[in-house]
Amino acid sequence: MDFKLTEEQELIRASAREFALKYLEPIAAEIDEESRFPMEVMTKLAEMDWLGIPYPAEYGGAGADYLTFALVVEEISRSCASTGFTLSATTGLVMNPIYQFGTEEQKKQYITPIAKGEKIGAFALTEPGAGTDPGAATTTAVLEGDTYVINGTKTFISNGPIADVFVVIAVTDKSKGARGLSGFIVPKEAGGISVGKHFQKMGLRASQTSEIIFKDCRIPRQNLLGKEGQGFRIAMQSLDTGRIGIAAQAIGILQAALDESISYSKERVQFGKPISVNQAIQWMLVDMATDLAAARFLTYYAADCKDKGLPSSKEAAMAKLFASEAVSRHASKAVQIHGGIGYVKGTKVERLMRDAKITEIYEGTSEAQRMVIAGNILR
Amino acid sequence: MPNIVACFKWVIDEADLKVAAHSRELILDRVSYKISDYDRNALEEAVRLREQYGGQVTTVTVGPPGARQSLKDALSRGPDQGCLIADTAFVDLEPSQTAAILAAALRSRLEYDLIICGEGSSDLYAQQVGPRLAENLGLPVITYVNKIILEENLLIAERRLEDGIEVVSVPLPALVTVLPEINSPRIPGLKQVLAAAKKPVINLNQKDLGEDFSPLLQTLSIQAAPSERRRLRFGAEGADLKKVVDALIREGVVS
Ligand SMILES: Cc1cc2nc3c(=O)[nH]c(=O)nc-3n(C[C@H](O)[C@H](O)[C@H](O)COP(=O)(O)OP(=O)(O)OC[C@H]3O[C@@H](n4cnc5c(N)ncnc54)[C@H](O)[C@@H]3O)c2cc1C
Repeated sequence: MDFKLTEEQELIRASAREFALKYLEPIAAEIDEESRFPMEVMTKLAEMDWLGIPYPAEYGGAGADYLTFALVVEEISRSCASTGFTLSATTGLVMNPIYQFGTEEQKKQYITPIAKGEKIGAFALTEPGAGTDPGAATTTAVLEGDTYVINGTKTFISNGPIADVFVVIAVTDKSKGARGLSGFIVPKEAGGISVGKHFQKMGLRASQTSEIIFKDCRIPRQNLLGKEGQGFRIAMQSLDTGRIGIAAQAIGILQAALDESISYSKERVQFGKPISVNQAIQWMLVDMATDLAAARFLTYYAADCKDKGLPSSKEAAMAKLFASEAVSRHASKAVQIHGGIGYVKGTKVERLMRDAKITEIYEGTSEAQRMVIAGNILR
Repeated sequence: MPNIVACFKWVIDEADLKVAAHSRELILDRVSYKISDYDRNALEEAVRLREQYGGQVTTVTVGPPGARQSLKDALSRGPDQGCLIADTAFVDLEPSQTAAILAAALRSRLEYDLIICGEGSSDLYAQQVGPRLAENLGLPVITYVNKIILEENLLIAERRLEDGIEVVSVPLPALVTVLPEINSPRIPGLKQVLAAAKKPVINLNQKDLGEDFSPLLQTLSIQAAPSERRRLRFGAEGADLKKVVDALIREGVVS
């Protein structure tokens, strides 16, 4: 058993930390406040070869592994959870399904420009009536000659308002339920795509989230991803991968909460002493640090399983479940340690607490993770 | 097409240093190491000059065998090859030794037209290795360099001094020591990190150099300087300014 990262992984982690401190830390509070997507950062992420870390160079990827991907998402999220998520979702939910299920041509055509930061991708599964239960989707894709015609409304789509290309899960055979879903690659220029409600969120505000409405959106037959009927599998496999990224995002936020709490509690003086000398404060810090270590090992382990080609669905669900619940709990404690100032805009822990919560909801709620894990351990 | 050598020191990351409360000794059991800060500027400058003028960059370090872990880091920053001069005898080297070892290696194993060092290291900041190395090799040295231009066989450098900027030129080969303002080191991308492992490395030890490098100076002990927070508080009114100044005088910070 080896708990050590490779030299390369350590160096890439160090690069990610340096990058985050230089380019994200200074803008994170501002883009949160303004709810602005930092387009300029995407180009920089591409220059660092971080868009498409685990995919081969022939598709514009970096040819590294999922553990490295997790390390970069973690370090980026430590400074800006929104950017960490953009990186994670782009890799796990957009590039991954195309890489796993796409044809050679689809991979070259669609993964490469996203890896270069020239195009923005989005993953469209959730619908107003189909969240935890994607089998309830009603968006349809009907084959007319050599064209699929897509109709329906997707909601909570990250990057929705700015995406150039969508991976869409839609119903091709209503009679088959979840097995009647199929995946498609839908470029924005296909037409018939509009942005509906643009959500104002409590956290993760620099990531843009909206409804996407398909009205007679016509795409060529070749844009089918995999085979008809594989949509559910495509979605689940993508989420299995994406969850490693969300777990990494959660530990990044948690690390930031711990860093802020340690430094504040050593500085803040009450009763003539730094508040960190109180056992009540120390135990909050200790629990935070311990859960962080546990979450980190679960996450790296899930990534390592995926890299070794071992089953990783349960592992990713466990990592995501544990890390997201830990960060939610502890980000709130970080605010507690800061007292009044922790509740004020511009204090980092205030943003961390808002950002933390989303990790328990998207890419499967905590309840959905428990369903995945239960399905595995009761098999 | 100049052969450029960029030297770096592998130092303890000062962010990891802890001090034992009573003895004031340094606690080193959880420290990590890094390329000394200004040496990153030296590496970056070497790579920029190669990008501009062509040639080849070799990066060199001297240290104990553990310094091997610095190579991928250094090579991910753009040099074409590395040179590791490592030996179990090379522990806690003082500047005259480091300079002598570097000189021996450069003289016998490496081609150089330009040698770039950081102005000083982040641990000791003795500012000696660069000038001593130049002396050992009989090269002209320019310190406090803020800007470098190459012209034919001439190097033109801007030196940032306390009271102004001096521009000097020297014929190559030469040695310069650079300030952090000279550039902003790039952050190595993922592919550069992965490519670092494939770059050639010249490995040398004390025996290869065939010399003994005894120290001129011995460090007997190191203790952290005590720093104690006074936790004084001042208001932001004009009248408070006098209180701040009085406190500084009382503490002996100003007189
Ligand atoms: C910021 C943000 C970004 C998002 N990005 C994307 C995206 O890019 N693409 C995309 O497709 N989707 C995206 N989503 C959607 C997200 O994945 C869903 O919100 C999530 O899956 C939950 O679905 P829901 O909101 O419909 O909740 P519901 O499914 O309605 O769940 C409501 C509650 O009921 C619980 N619940 C539901 N079913 C069960 C059950 N069987 N047993 C026990 N409890 C249950 C849930 O856990 C939850 O607590 C995003 C959401 C947000 C908020």
